[in-house]
Amino acid sequence: MGQGKSQFTEEELQDYEDLTYFTKKEVLYAHQKFKALAPEKVGHNKNAKLPMLKILQYPELRVNPFRDRICKVFSSSNDGDCTFEDFLDMMSVFSEMAPKAVKAEHAFRIFDFDGDDMIGVSDLREVIERLCGPELKLGDSEIQQLVQNVLEEADLDDDGALSFAEFEHIIDKSSDFCHAFRIRL
Amino acid sequence: MSGGNSKNKARSKKQEGWEEAGGEFYQELYPGGEQELFDNLQRADAAKLATLLPSKQARNTTTVKRARSQNERRQSTFARTTQSRDIHLSMLPDLSENLSNEERTWEEIMQIKAMPVPMNQKRERKARLQNATKLRLQGFEQLQWRQRKVWHRFRIRFSEIVGKLELWQSPMREIEGKFGTGVVSYFLFLRWLLFLNIAISMLIILFMILPKTLLTEAESTCEDYSDNSTECCSNYYLTKNLSDSNVFLDVLQGTGWMERTILFYGVYSDQIYKYYVKNLFQSELYFNMPMAYILVAISWVLLSLIAIVKTAAKGFKERLVENEGQFYKYCNLVFGGWDFCIQNDKSAKIKHKALYNEIKGYLEEEKYNEEKQQRTRESQILIYFKRLLINLIVFIILIASGVLIYFAFNYSTDRLSQPEQIIETNTNFGNINVTHAEKLTLSLYKEGGMFFEQLENTLLEFLPFLCIVILNLIVPEIFSYLIPFESYTPAHVLIISLLRTVLLRLSSLAVLLSQMYTYVRDNGFVCSYVNETDENSSKLDCWETYVGQQLYKLILTDFAVQFVTTFFINLPRAFVARHTNSRCFKIIGEQDFYLPKHVLDIVYTQTIIWMGSFFCPFLPIIGTIFYFLIFYIKKFTCLTNCTPSPVVYKASKSKSLFMSVLLLGFIASITPVAYSVAEIFPSINCGPYRGYNNVWEFVIETFDGFPFLIREFIFRMGTSTFAVPAFAVLLFFLYYYWAVAAANRHMVTVLKNQLVLEGHDKQFLLNRLSAFIRQHQKRCERRNRASFADDDSIRQSSR
Repeated sequence: MGQGKSQFTEEELQDYEDLTYFTKKEVLYAHQKFKALAPEKVGHNKNAKLPMLKILQYPELRVNPFRDRICKVFSSSNDGDCTFEDFLDMMSVFSEMAPKAVKAEHAFRIFDFDGDDMIGVSDLREVIERLCGPELKLGDSEIQQLVQNVLEEADLDDDGALSFAEFEHIIDKSSDFCHAFRIRL
Repeated sequence: MSGGNSKNKARSKKQEGWEEAGGEFYQELYPGGEQELFDNLQRADAAKLATLLPSKQARNTTTVKRARSQNERRQSTFARTTQSRDIHLSMLPDLSENLSNEERTWEEIMQIKAMPVPMNQKRERKARLQNATKLRLQGFEQLQWRQRKVWHRFRIRFSEIVGKLELWQSPMREIEGKFGTGVVSYFLFLRWLLFLNIAISMLIILFMILPKTLLTEAESTCEDYSDNSTECCSNYYLTKNLSDSNVFLDVLQGTGWMERTILFYGVYSDQIYKYYVKNLFQSELYFNMPMAYILVAISWVLLSLIAIVKTAAKGFKERLVENEGQFYKYCNLVFGGWDFCIQNDKSAKIKHKALYNEIKGYLEEEKYNEEKQQRTRESQILIYFKRLLINLIVFIILIASGVLIYFAFNYSTDRLSQPEQIIETNTNFGNINVTHAEKLTLSLYKEGGMFFEQLENTLLEFLPFLCIVILNLIVPEIFSYLIPFESYTPAHVLIISLLRTVLLRLSSLAVLLSQMYTYVRDNGFVCSYVNETDENSSKLDCWETYVGQQLYKLILTDFAVQFVTTFFINLPRAFVARHTNSRCFKIIGEQDFYLPKHVLDIVYTQTIIWMGSFFCPFLPIIGTIFYFLIFYIKKFTCLTNCTPSPVVYKASKSKSLFMSVLLLGFIASITPVAYSVAEIFPSINCGPYRGYNNVWEFVIETFDGFPFLIREFIFRMGTSTFAVPAFAVLLFFLYYYWAVAAANRHMVTVLKNQLVLEGHDKQFLLNRLSAFIRQHQKRCERRNRASFADDDSIRQSSR
């Protein structure tokens, strides 16, 4: 802890505490975790920008099927490379303290692969394929069926895609989402 | 500074484009936003029109809190699309428009964290907010704001400390990483039970054990043993010599010297203690032990009930919401399917597989339902017949296990009291010995009985409990083997097998209790003095203590079996499974973490604790220790012995399931205790209620001692003049809420339909609009061409 403290001024910590769902101690702990990903680089510059591959070494992200999307969504340069601040943002959203609405917002962006602010059929297919993993493949007709079912459930305005409002509506009703969309620091 | 300022800036930027087009006319027609909108509409192709709709942009206008930061949010999410950037510029809020005071600024800063923008933007915004001119709060408001800030700080620090103290954080994380949130919710439940037991233990330690050990009892004197007064009998009971027996076995059985400790009901006094606190109070202080005993019991019952109901209500609410959104099961699966906590390659693979299976299962279920409607009558009848048959088998198994326990209990009590009678004729030591067990061990000891004989007796003592525990191990396996024949849906399989197992456990407990009850009824209520002089009897001196001992033994057995199965059966199995390639061994060895079984294990322990706490006040403390150890045992089971289960356990669903099972256990355990308190004659020799007809009589007597007004008030509460109207009012409220719920449900469907209709309307209008724009564009082009032609002609004519 003492080592980590020397890297931040009190003011910075206060900023982080105000701007994330973490306390100062947790911020320092998060920094330790971040440092563990690339000790030399971060030791040199506390806010170093780590390439996406390095960030994906983080245990929970390593096995997550949406890992690259998560990095891209949180990366301030939009290319998946994350600075410590981006990492902190990420962890803050995934923390237990973050409200459902904030999580939903980010989840929407993670699932919106093509970035058109709608979760369309192609996005849904991608999500489902990633969920099943690289080894197991659902048949085309099954995916088709599932996408159909999802849209039937949630696409209230029948435009063949989920808008954010519709997505948030789903998340609001889903009690599992909050449990699942969480990474402990 | 003012709002107009920035708006103007934005507008002027826009205007440049328009001026170039020479569209000054339009500016007046479409001032501000509309003009831009039109601009955008013209540029946009029809497909992208949809993204320009306000509903797509105003995310969450509903929540007041977030409405303020809304514009910022929009800025970020739409930064990608250039068109919308044009729009948001004009919609940017004016920070300076309404000069905010310090408190509001602070509130806004606190809300920045909810915005989905990178940290540096957040920081900028914070700095901007901090540097903006703001009103200083005056006087009382300032004070209030300061207080709020301090409170906020304090809460953060407090949560930090609590977070550090939180029990078992890192094991939970480890489990979560390997097994996902469903299994962790089980461990959270275990922790919850631990805390509940700690709370109950605190009550008992504070109000029963401490007074008992610290305060000295007044000596009661007994003049004449021949008359059966309470003093004499209890005096006799408490001074009997018990020193001579095997300490180890006593600890296991709760007999011998253990019987006379604070562990059991028997030693608690029926007196009102008198004591002085030096230098504090002049007068004597009183501590009414019987009153404390019953009050503590009532309060832990209430405490448990409230704790369960409160936790269950939370889960129930979630369940209700979910049930209404029954239609969302596919969405739930797709968007909430992945556990982001998983961090281990193997469990990730299993999770993928589980999700794959679940998706397949859902799709197949749909097919199954379709088929079900087409299912022929004969096959349906066949299935019902099968189910009936299997239910019959289950019923028979349940009855058989009940009978087995019955016989085991009878056998053990018979065998234990047989030698006693033979020996007792030989021993004429007037004032030794208490219960049959001690008599037995003692007399065997006296006769130079061998150790293995003692062991045999211990085994006999434990026979019924071993029987119960082994049945609990084997029968659920049979049930789980039977259930696939019944072709239920997976969700039903879980609930039905859980229900059957619960039934088994509770019925075995019930048989045990009824056996104890008959035994107590026949042998319970005798003065120990008479008991001792009457040589041929195997009567109980203190039946409450006896019941306490039985439950104490039961909980010990239960714990021992859990320990043994984990470390001596399942561990070798897991070891075999890991180090062999043979398929046969793999099948024997591999075990997945079957959640319902483990839930039942701990719920069962808790049921015993509730049942026994009145007779053995130490039980919650033992339970606390056990739960602490069980956590590690279960963690070991989970992490070392088991592989992640191919069934997906949903955290939200399992929680309410645990609570309902626990509630069942609670009712099943409290009912017999309540019965014994209200109906059964307490033994004369021991305990706080010697001399009363039943425990409740004491409560009534105390109640009679209250001041008249209170008594009258409570009495009136009990009469029909109060109860009937109260009941009616409650019914009325119930009806009211039911009606409100029904109306809401109706409203939900109406609104949903409306939403769908609006969606269609929107589609229609959008199509119309895009068609119109296309037409308009064409017309413009034509007109432009025409005007160019005109210009040309004018130019030519001017020449």
